[in-house]
Amino acid sequence: MAAAIAGTALAAVGAVSALRRTGRLRAGPAVSALGRRTRRLRVERGLAALGLAARGGARYASSAPRLFAAAGEQREKLRNDLALQTAEDVAATLGTMKGVLMKLGQMASYVNDGLTPAARRTLSRLQDSVPPMSPELAAQVVTEELGLPPERAFATWDPEPIAAASIGQVHRAITHDGRAVAVKVQYPGIAETIEADLGNVALLRRMLKITVPSQDVDALLAELRERVTEELDYRREARNQQMFADYYRGHPTIVVPEIIGELSTRRVVTSELAEGARFAELAGWSQAERDLAAETIYRFVFRSLYEAHAFNGDPHPGNYLFHGGGRVTFLDFGLVKYFTDDEMRPLAAMVKHLCLDNDPEAFRRAMEEAGFLVRDAPLPTELVIEHMAVFYDTVRVRGPVTMTGDYAAAVTRRFFDFRSPLAAYAAIPRSYVILQRINLGLFALLGDLSATADWRRIAEEIWPFFQGPPSTPMGEAEAAWKSGRRRPART
Amino acid sequence: MSAGPYADAAGLVERSAAAYTAAVPDRPEDDGYFGPASVTWRVSGDLSAPVAGLRSLLMQALHPLAMAGVDQHSAWRRDPVGRLAATSAYTATVTYGDRADAERAAQRVRVIHEHVRGVDTVTGLPYAAGDPALLLWVHAALVDSALAAIDLFGTRIGEADADRYVAEMAVAATLLGVPREMVPATTAALGRYITDTRQDLRCTPAAAESMSYLLDPPGLDKEIAELWQDIRDAAVAALPDWARDMYGYPAPSTLTPLTPARRTEIRQTLGVLDAVFLAEPGVLEARQRLTARMRG
Repeated sequence: MAAAIAGTALAAVGAVSALRRTGRLRAGPAVSALGRRTRRLRVERGLAALGLAARGGARYASSAPRLFAAAGEQREKLRNDLALQTAEDVAATLGTMKGVLMKLGQMASYVNDGLTPAARRTLSRLQDSVPPMSPELAAQVVTEELGLPPERAFATWDPEPIAAASIGQVHRAITHDGRAVAVKVQYPGIAETIEADLGNVALLRRMLKITVPSQDVDALLAELRERVTEELDYRREARNQQMFADYYRGHPTIVVPEIIGELSTRRVVTSELAEGARFAELAGWSQAERDLAAETIYRFVFRSLYEAHAFNGDPHPGNYLFHGGGRVTFLDFGLVKYFTDDEMRPLAAMVKHLCLDNDPEAFRRAMEEAGFLVRDAPLPTELVIEHMAVFYDTVRVRGPVTMTGDYAAAVTRRFFDFRSPLAAYAAIPRSYVILQRINLGLFALLGDLSATADWRRIAEEIWPFFQGPPSTPMGEAEAAWKSGRRRPART
Repeated sequence: MSAGPYADAAGLVERSAAAYTAAVPDRPEDDGYFGPASVTWRVSGDLSAPVAGLRSLLMQALHPLAMAGVDQHSAWRRDPVGRLAATSAYTATVTYGDRADAERAAQRVRVIHEHVRGVDTVTGLPYAAGDPALLLWVHAALVDSALAAIDLFGTRIGEADADRYVAEMAVAATLLGVPREMVPATTAALGRYITDTRQDLRCTPAAAESMSYLLDPPGLDKEIAELWQDIRDAAVAALPDWARDMYGYPAPSTLTPLTPARRTEIRQTLGVLDAVFLAEPGVLEARQRLTARMRG
């Protein structure tokens, strides 16, 4: 669990660093009693002033319907009458801040408890308010992007969208060489309108204050702008997905649909069509199947991180399809972060020193090296360990451990423990910020599955400083895949 | 002019939304006085509508007798939000309701107007709410404001459609008892009528008081209050210079010039306000009913 845990731990310190950045909290040596009380108050006031990403992954947004079908019968009936027929319709529906607010809503779906109820309602209604593009409008975008109308660019084209996507929608098609594909088509004009709206920083700041009143508005604003700008160009996502597809090609249980490069552009991305069970359906599967699915997700997250140095930052349950026998298809690579060797080193070192060497001082030095803890903070190392250990609970010892919602919640609680004496000395460098989202999200996901495994042994297989033998049948199959692979992809 | 403070403005969005959703029929008998193909539906559904509404109140209040009627008779001070919601419910019903709905609503207003009579303390003139001259001013202020707001902050319509809008809207005045021949049917006629009426207008203490309340309503939810500042600036900027002078408001050129960038900002605020409105129960469904009919 290694990096995941490291990541989560980072999340914990990251929360604190958000306070620091806003000047609500100052690091410093011992303070007077009065000073301490003042600081305590400030900390409490800013208790939830975390980056949006940091907040409470213990729960997923229950709504966030990605499929039109999920939005109810009424919607289904109306959708053809309401379809967006022109770029002007798109602008009226998603322009003047609404597209930006929707993106804010998607980001905030990971941080349910940071949102005011009114804001949550507004954002979810806003999502409901976007009808699909008419077949003609979608075809127009495809034509502009691929140079041919969809019926000619593809052998078969289904004009009815099968799903809503981030600022676009997904169509099924069959390529001329016979491959079934999913084609994501972006709303026309959306990039321009969103870029213009992102320019109104004053209003965005005001909106964020309303939406997530307790959080660090500047950090959120930066993340929102960065994230949205990235998503406007589908080519980035296509590159990310292709990297993962290349890396996992032939893997026994991890499936990443291949990108069809010649049919992918800024506003259209074509990938192999994947079908499978949705996350919600796993509730009806046997625990053994759920455990296998969890093992695959776990292996995917940490193999990607430790070997490809890549992290897919969108742990939404809607981004997985399940096929049984542990086979899982991973979708949506819109938010991927790559780590340098220098960034990875301390993460791995922290895991190694705490879980393997049991060397608290070395662990602390690794934290300092990564920038999570200021050097020479006047804190006993036992205190640092005491605070951080919960994040590593599932990999500190061998033996089967069941992930639970309670564990995910405990991690989240610790994460928010600003009374911790560490708070004043902790920070989270920007390059690690993304890990916190994934880790809190991953724990919640595995907790939802009540997944049991010997996570430590699986982690040992993956830890680059351990390289343990296969510990499960899936591990065996993975080892065979690894040895047969030509060479590991590296970014 | 009755004394007494105004009640606060909490619930403005909620109650306007309730008025709107109730006014958009589920199963209309007919397309009403306007209908899906009308310019009126397009203008009423435009993002600029809140600016139009506020500007329209600012204009209407400048007629001392119209203002006196509101000030002396309605629940305006006790329940300003309720009074505004009633007005928007009426307007929305006439706009979107079927003919029977619209006529019923108009009949109710005419009955209420029967009892609204008195003497304006400022001018010393008698007034009656059913007086076609007053009703016409209220009507003209609304139509002119919708055009001004959409032109500055909305999805612009051409001159031909502006004329169509003025002509379409004439029926709204006649529903309340203004003889058809009195109602301007082109933008030019509307302009002439407003110019001719200017001599009767002034900012009475009641108008000044009411409008300063509206421009900065106490008790709005904080988030709405911040958005309201932009709406207010937009409405004041959209006023004719002479109306702004009567109130003594500074010209927008001296404060925040209405540059293209500033207009974009105001549109963005209107978009956020619209998103807030959209989240009220039933609003999205009402919009979808209208959109489906307009696409029909």
